[in-house]
Amino acid sequence: MEALLDFARGPLFRLSFAVMALGLLRILIFDLYGAIEAYRRAGDKTMPWNLVMRRSAQWLLPINRAFKNRPAYSLISILFHIGLLLVPIFLFAHIQLWHKVIGISWLSLPKVVADYLTILTIICAVALLIGRVFNHSSSFLSRKQDYLWPLLLSMPFATGYICANVGVSPSVYQLSMMAHVLSGEIAFILIPFTKIAHCVLMPFSQLISTLAWKFPPGTDEDVATTMNKKGAPV
Amino acid sequence: MDMRTDKINAEERERAFVSLRKPEVVEKQKLHVRYHVEDYDAEDRPRAFLKAFAAILKHSSYRMALDHFIRMSAKCSRCATTCQVYQATGDLKDIPCFRSELLLSVYRRHFTMGGLLRGRALGTGHLTDDKIQEMAESFWNCTACRRCSMECPSGIDHGLIAHLGRYILSEIGIAPRALVVSTREQLEGKSGNTSAIPVPALIDTLEFLEEDMLEEKNVAIKFPMDVEGANYVFFPAVSDFLMEAETLMGIAAVFAATGDSWTTGTGYFDGINYGLFYSDRILERVVKKIDAETRRLKGKQVLIGECGHASRSAKYFLPTYCGGKDAFPVINIMEYTYEVWKEGRLVLDPTIVTQKVAYHDPCNIARQRWIIDQPRELLRAFCPNYVEMTPMGENNICCGGGGGTVSIDEIRPYRTTIGGKLKADQIRKSGCEILVAPCANCKKQLRELVEDQKIDCEVVGLHDLIYKAIVFDDSLKVKEEQPQEVAEEE
Ligand code: SF4
Ligand code: SF4
Repeated sequence: MEALLDFARGPLFRLSFAVMALGLLRILIFDLYGAIEAYRRAGDKTMPWNLVMRRSAQWLLPINRAFKNRPAYSLISILFHIGLLLVPIFLFAHIQLWHKVIGISWLSLPKVVADYLTILTIICAVALLIGRVFNHSSSFLSRKQDYLWPLLLSMPFATGYICANVGVSPSVYQLSMMAHVLSGEIAFILIPFTKIAHCVLMPFSQLISTLAWKFPPGTDEDVATTMNKKGAPV
Repeated sequence: MDMRTDKINAEERERAFVSLRKPEVVEKQKLHVRYHVEDYDAEDRPRAFLKAFAAILKHSSYRMALDHFIRMSAKCSRCATTCQVYQATGDLKDIPCFRSELLLSVYRRHFTMGGLLRGRALGTGHLTDDKIQEMAESFWNCTACRRCSMECPSGIDHGLIAHLGRYILSEIGIAPRALVVSTREQLEGKSGNTSAIPVPALIDTLEFLEEDMLEEKNVAIKFPMDVEGANYVFFPAVSDFLMEAETLMGIAAVFAATGDSWTTGTGYFDGINYGLFYSDRILERVVKKIDAETRRLKGKQVLIGECGHASRSAKYFLPTYCGGKDAFPVINIMEYTYEVWKEGRLVLDPTIVTQKVAYHDPCNIARQRWIIDQPRELLRAFCPNYVEMTPMGENNICCGGGGGTVSIDEIRPYRTTIGGKLKADQIRKSGCEILVAPCANCKKQLRELVEDQKIDCEVVGLHDLIYKAIVFDDSLKVKEEQPQEVAEEE
């Protein structure tokens, strides 16, 4: 078990982290490359930057807009995201691990705060899942992965909480640690290939939507030629 | 808070979705949509669709947006809360995200590596006739108002996706006949405009209006024709020449008061651009006609009349297709009127229009926050009984006839029972007697809406009211008013 755990925490962790980081980087590069290409081809290069920034900020810091419709859902979702970001990054135990590997460390959350945030995140995940099941418009739209994500993401939180707080026997501890590490790694690996990719793409959404209306000139001729319709009547 | 509306009942549903097409034609075309479609090849539609999709992807920049959107969609259904169509039908298939998914899934399956591999491995997910049928129906249920895009945290623009979907469909011959026929006349017909108005008839109409105005206002208000080098070359929605005399007279009156140079070109005088609704290829060709006419007349700016989509298609797409930064500047008539009023060159009498007046924001000019405050300031200045409808401005509720749907007469029952239901509630709630809707499409839709929904309210343009309230300088009066002499004679 000890050896397995070491493997999971060592090479396997590095692998999954690399898959996530490189995967996200790839997506981000494609996304931005697409945007730059579109901008380059656009006939009209003026961009309403103010509007783009304003609308992006609106959703990145959803203080106002988000609560106008579905306020409960918005609140839960925002809290969920806060926990999801803060806990893994600012947990003392994680920072220690990083310190061991790459030699840098940063401020950590006080343990009580981290604990409460962990519980909150789990509750929010469950609430989101319930919301999805019972809100008939969401459940109509949802794919399988949309249900799986809250479950998968709450796994590392639940098991991590057990390891850190519950006095369990060493073997149970090891088991939950194993589950903690593995569930985290599965999530890492899946992130770039699923909708969670929004964690890096989100800031560019308004930009992309706005840019998408900046058509390249000459599409008429080009599309007509490709479709063998050149000079054909309307 | 957003508005909510009651769901339509069974009877309304039946009325809304009534199909006026002959069963034989539907059978022949293998397409059960409510609007008339031109005859076209119904064989192997999926293949044709994918071919058109591929051609468009190759020469456009849609791929960027589609790639982004397929990764972002959170399926949170937040957009459902703002779509006036979904609010009215309650049909889950009208949720904006579902509508878009129809096309996004085709993209994912046929144009991404993952989709192609999965498709090959599982042998599933091919584009079918049924799916095309569903898209043909769904994309024309949407009014392309883009209100939902304001509500999507992922920034997905369903208006754009419906726009692309319609573009692809039109390339394989699935487009509402009403739009295609008008466009054909505009691009290839004798008259060169969507309402098929011949130039002599146009001149007649305008002369007639000039006489009317002289009589009513005692001022020689002109519609200048083919004036070279004018500041503004005027392109209203051409249907205004037949249907919105008051709006046109208001515009002419404003120019008479300011003395600025403007002109209508007999070479081309149509602001309407149905390309914005169904095909970027058409969009481009029509935009180029405006450019060519302005060039011919050596005009300095393009002036668009009271019309939302005409304004947007010119303002946003003249730079796109006709020279970027060097394209002619485009302004909407409301911007002009607002400016001259601000400068004190336009005087409006606040005692004329005393009814309760409300303002409707046309999506195409308000959604991007282009023109929101100017008309309101004007109205408040001379309509003492101005009331505001909420939500307004960039969050405004669409009239229900957006995206060209208003031109498709056979779907009027749909527009006035479903598309415009939320708008009807809003109008009723405001209690307005006059609704100002500065857009040819909105005017038509809202008139049909208040009629079908039995709301007692008159729908007019901004300049209709300005025409009523405008005060002319005495120096412009043709005949001196001579009250004393009259008195002496008696
Ligand atoms: S709001 Fe955006 S992410 Fe949510 S369901 Fe609608 S389109 Fe999808
Ligand atoms: S664009 Fe308007 S009509 Fe279309 S889905 Fe969005 S809100 Fe509904």
